Amino acid sequence: MINLRQRDDLRELRPRFQAMVLVVVLVFLGLLGRLCQIQILEGDHYTRRAERNFVDVVDVEAPRGRIFDADGRPVSTNRPAYTLYITAWARFVRDGEAGVVPSEDGKRVAMDDETRDLIASLVDFVDDDDRGAFVERIDELRADEATGKYPQIARRNLDWEEFARIQARLDGIDPWVEIRESSKRYYPEGQLVGFVTGHMGNIGAKALEGSKHLGYRPGDRTGKTGIERQWENYLRGRLGRRARVVDARRREVSDPPREAVEALPEDLDPIPGQDIYLTLDLDLQRVAYDALSEKLAGGVVAMEVKTGRILAMVSVPALDPNLYEQPIPSATWKEWADSPLKPFIDKTVQEHFFPGSTYKVVSAIAALSHPEFDPDELIECEGFIKYGGRRFRDTHVHGEMNLESAIVESCNTYFYQLAVDNILSLDRMEQVARSLGLGERSGLGLNGEVRGTIPTEEFEAREGTYQGGVRLNSAIGQGNVKATVLQLAVLYAAIANGGYVMTPYLVDRIETNEGKLVFTSQPQRRNDQPVIDPVDRERIHRGLVGVVNDEDGTAYSERLPNIVVAGKTGTAQVGREKRRREAEEEEVQIEGWDTTQDHAWFAAYAPAEAPSIVVVAMVEHGGIGADAAAPIVMKVINHYIGSTTTETDVAPRPYGEPPPLPGQARAELGRAGTAGASPSGAVP
Amino acid sequence: MSDLLGQPRDLWGRIRQSIDWVVVLLAFGVIALALINLNSAGKGDWSGRVATQLRWVALGTVIMFIVTAIDYRVIYRVSYAAYAFAVGLLVLVPVIGIKVNNARRWLGTQDVRIQPSELMKVILVIALARYLHDAYAKESKNIRTLVVPFAMVLVPAALIINQPDLGTGVMILLVALPVLSVTRMHLRSMLGAGFAGLVAVALGWRYMADYQRKRIDVWLNPELYADDEGYQTIQAIISVGNGGFFGRGVDQGTQNVLGFLPEPFTDFPFAVYAEEWGFVGGAMALTLYLGITLWSINIASQARDRFGALLCTGVAALFFWHVVINIGMVLQLVPVSGITLPFFSAGGSNVLTMMIGLGILMSVSRSRQYRS
Repeated sequence: MINLRQRDDLRELRPRFQAMVLVVVLVFLGLLGRLCQIQILEGDHYTRRAERNFVDVVDVEAPRGRIFDADGRPVSTNRPAYTLYITAWARFVRDGEAGVVPSEDGKRVAMDDETRDLIASLVDFVDDDDRGAFVERIDELRADEATGKYPQIARRNLDWEEFARIQARLDGIDPWVEIRESSKRYYPEGQLVGFVTGHMGNIGAKALEGSKHLGYRPGDRTGKTGIERQWENYLRGRLGRRARVVDARRREVSDPPREAVEALPEDLDPIPGQDIYLTLDLDLQRVAYDALSEKLAGGVVAMEVKTGRILAMVSVPALDPNLYEQPIPSATWKEWADSPLKPFIDKTVQEHFFPGSTYKVVSAIAALSHPEFDPDELIECEGFIKYGGRRFRDTHVHGEMNLESAIVESCNTYFYQLAVDNILSLDRMEQVARSLGLGERSGLGLNGEVRGTIPTEEFEAREGTYQGGVRLNSAIGQGNVKATVLQLAVLYAAIANGGYVMTPYLVDRIETNEGKLVFTSQPQRRNDQPVIDPVDRERIHRGLVGVVNDEDGTAYSERLPNIVVAGKTGTAQVGREKRRREAEEEEVQIEGWDTTQDHAWFAAYAPAEAPSIVVVAMVEHGGIGADAAAPIVMKVINHYIGSTTTETDVAPRPYGEPPPLPGQARAELGRAGTAGASPSGAVP
Repeated sequence: MSDLLGQPRDLWGRIRQSIDWVVVLLAFGVIALALINLNSAGKGDWSGRVATQLRWVALGTVIMFIVTAIDYRVIYRVSYAAYAFAVGLLVLVPVIGIKVNNARRWLGTQDVRIQPSELMKVILVIALARYLHDAYAKESKNIRTLVVPFAMVLVPAALIINQPDLGTGVMILLVALPVLSVTRMHLRSMLGAGFAGLVAVALGWRYMADYQRKRIDVWLNPELYADDEGYQTIQAIISVGNGGFFGRGVDQGTQNVLGFLPEPFTDFPFAVYAEEWGFVGGAMALTLYLGITLWSINIASQARDRFGALLCTGVAALFFWHVVINIGMVLQLVPVSGITLPFFSAGGSNVLTMMIGLGILMSVSRSRQYRS
C-alpha cells in the first residue's frame, strides 16, 4: 500500500507540463484564428448565405381583369379563394407521437405516404378521379426533388371549410403544406353569358411548354374559351413578388428578427389585368336567353346593323362557367360529353347548319345579278318540280310566284325553277354568298368559329356529290350549304344597312385597372362599296318586310304590333330517314328532343324603315321556323326597340295547334297568287 | 491535518480557504454564458431545457462541493471499485439500456436517465491516476506498467465504440493520452505509442461503418453534400460567419431563431452562441475554457503528489478535448461527432461529469504545495 502522506517531488514533470501548456495554447490560438477567419474575414459571405436561407420571394398573383357588359355590369369578376401549395421534399419527418421532427442530419427527404394521405384526407374531392389526380400530383412532386423542394400548387380554389380544416391540423403537416390566399374567377351571371365570357382551366402541359416566355407556372389558370381565352393576354396582368422571412419549415415568420426584415429585397407590386367592356347588353341577353332556353338547343345573335356590335349572343344549352372553378366529377363530365345537345358547343359560331330558306336572299341576289333575269316574271308553283328524274318538293302549292312573293311565302319551286333555268348556278350563288360573308369566318375570333360551307362545282366534284340536283338544293339553303347563326346575322345586317358586310365584335373597349383606355373597337366594314345593288336591295327588303307583314307572309302570325320587322323564316330539313335511324340508335333519350325535326330559323332586322338591329335565331330540331324561332327574335327586337306593349292584334294561337302554313288560307280560298304582293304590310 | 496545512479553525474560514476561487469564477462564467445561450437556442423558453439544465447545474454544484470537501486520498482508495462499477454499467447498457434517437447509450427510464459513458471518462482518469501513481512508487519497469494502463483504457473504449458511439470512445482514448504521458515513460516509447495509434486509426478506417466513412467524406467536402448530409455542417458554419465581429445579439440570430441550425442544444450550441455573440463572444468563451485548462495544468504541476497531478491532468484533458472537438466540429476542423461542449450542451450526465472534474480540481488545489 502506498503512503499518500508522502509528498512527491514533481519537478521532473515540469517540462511535460510546459509542453502541455504550449500545445493547449497553440490549439486554442488555432481555434481563435479559425473563428477570426470565418467571422471577420468571410463574415459577409456567410451573412449572404444566411439571407438565402430565410429570404423567400413568393409570387403575388395579379388580380385578373374583369369583364363588364356595355353598361358596366360585371359578368366576370374575382373572389377570394385559397390555394394549396405542397412542398414534397422537406427537412422534416413524421415520427409517431413526437409529431414532426427534423430529419436525420437535416437531410431533405420525400414526403411519406402517411403524410400524403393525411393531407388528402383534409381536402374535399368530388369523386375518386379527383382524389386520384390530387394524389398523383403529389406523387409527381415526390418523385422529382428538383421541383418538389419548392412549394408547388397542388390544388386551387379551396373553400373556407377546407382552409379551416387544414389550418387546424397544420402542426402535423406544416413543413409540407402552405395555404396562400388567392382569387378565383366568379361569373355573377353564370350560364347567361357563359359562352361569351368562356371559362377558366388549368394550363395544360403543352401550353406551359409553349409559353415559357410569358411566365406561366404549372397549375396556373388560363382562359379556356370565350373572351377569357381570346383576350387572355390583356386580362391576365403580371405577377408581382413579395419577399418574406421564412423559417426552416418555409413558413412565414410573424415576428422575424429586425435585421432579417432589413435584409429583405424590395417587393414588386403585381400589375392587375385589364378590364374588358363588352358590347353585350345584359338585359337583351337575358331576354334572348330566357326565350331560347324554353327550347332544348339553339343559338341567338343580336347585332347592331351599322356597326357589327354584338348586343346579345346566346347558345343553349349553356354551362355555368363557375362550375369550372371546382373540379368536375367525371360522371357529370361524361354526362355532358355524351349529351346529344352538345353543351360544350357554342351554337352561334362553333357549329354550322343548313340555313334553309333564310338562304333564299342569297339566291335572290344571285338571280338579280343575272342579266337575263326578270324578277317580275311569274313562275307557276305546283308544289314540286321534276328534275333529272327526281322530284324536288315544296311545302305546298303556291300558285304563281314572282321573286318577291317567293320570298314572302318561301316558295321553293320558284328557286328550283331558277336553278333549272341556270339563272342560279352554283358559282354565281357562291360568289354572292362569299361577298356577304358566308363560307368564311366572320372575324369575331371567338370559340373556334367554323367557316360554314358554300358549295362550288369544284367542291361538289371533290366531295363526289355533284349532280344537277345539287344546284336546286343549294338554291334553297340545303344540299351542302351550311352557315353559322353569326354568319346569317352578318348577312342580314348587310341587307339591312344597304350592303355593307360588317365584322362583328364583342369587345367595346379595354381599360387598365386605373381606368386608362388601352383599346377601343371601331366598326369595320369588310367592303368599301355596297355588295348589293340598291335597287336589288330594295326589292329584297320589300320581300322580307312582306314575310312578317303580308298576310301571306310566313311569319305574319308573329308580327309585332308597333314595330315593322323585316325577316325571313327558315325550316331546314335534316335528312329525316337517316336521322330516324340514328335517333333509334341514340343512347340518351331526352324528352322533346326529336332529331327528325327540322332546324327552325328566323333572321330579321328592325325597324324596317331605318334598321338598327338584326336578330337571328336558330332552334335545333325546333320544327318550323315561324313557329319555333320567330317568337324568340320578336321578343328580342321588341325589347330592344322598346315597344310599350307586347300585345299583338292577332289572337294568340291555342297551345299545340300548328301555325297556318304560309299562304294556306289563300290557297284554300282558291285564289291564285297575284304578282307583286304588297310590300306595305306594315301594321299601324 | 488542519494544523499541518495551517488552516483557520472557524468553519467559514476553512470553507473559504478550501475553495479555489479561480476554478469557481471560470466555471461559473462558462455556465452563465451557457445558460443564456441555451435559452436563446430554445427560442427564449426558460421552462424547458434551460430549467432542466439549471437543475443539473445545481445538483452538479452540490456534488462539486462534496467532492471538493472530500480529501482526494479517499478518491484514491475507491478508484478501482468505481472503475469496476463503471465498466459494469457499460456492460449493462447493451443488455438493459434504453434507446434514444436510435442509439442505445442510456440507463434508467426515458425521463430520468444517465449515460454511463460520460461518467466513465472521469472515472477512467481516477483509475489511471491511481495505477500510474502506484507504478511509479514501485519503480517497476516491467512490461506490465505499459500493458495494464492501455488495457484499462481500451476495455471501456471498446465497450463504448460498440454501443455504437465512436465519438465518446475516441474521447476516452484522447483523455487518457495526456494522463499516460505524465509517467516515467520515455519520449521515445510515447512516440512509438503514437505511431501505433495512427496505424490503429488507419486499420479502423476499414472497419468503420459506411455512415462513419461518409461523415468524414462530408467533413472534407461539405459543399458537395450541402443539401443532404452536409446540411448541418454548412448551416453551422453559416451561423458562425453570420455572427460577424460583434454578433447579431441574443435572440436575434436568424440561423438559430428561424430554425435553420439543427441540433442547437446538443451538438451545435456553439454555433448559436457564435452567431449571437460574434467574434468577441467567441473569444471570450474560448478564453474561459483556455483558463480552466491552463489552471488545471497549473494545479497539476503544484500538486503535492503524483496522484493529484495525474488527476488534474486528466480533468484538463477532459475539458480540452471536449472544447476542441466540439468547437472544431462547428468550425469544420474535425468531422461531426456527438461530442458535447461542457455546460453549453444540454445534458445531465455531461454536466455532472464536468462538475465532478471541477470538484477534483479544487480538492487537489486545497492541498497544493505552496500553501504549506
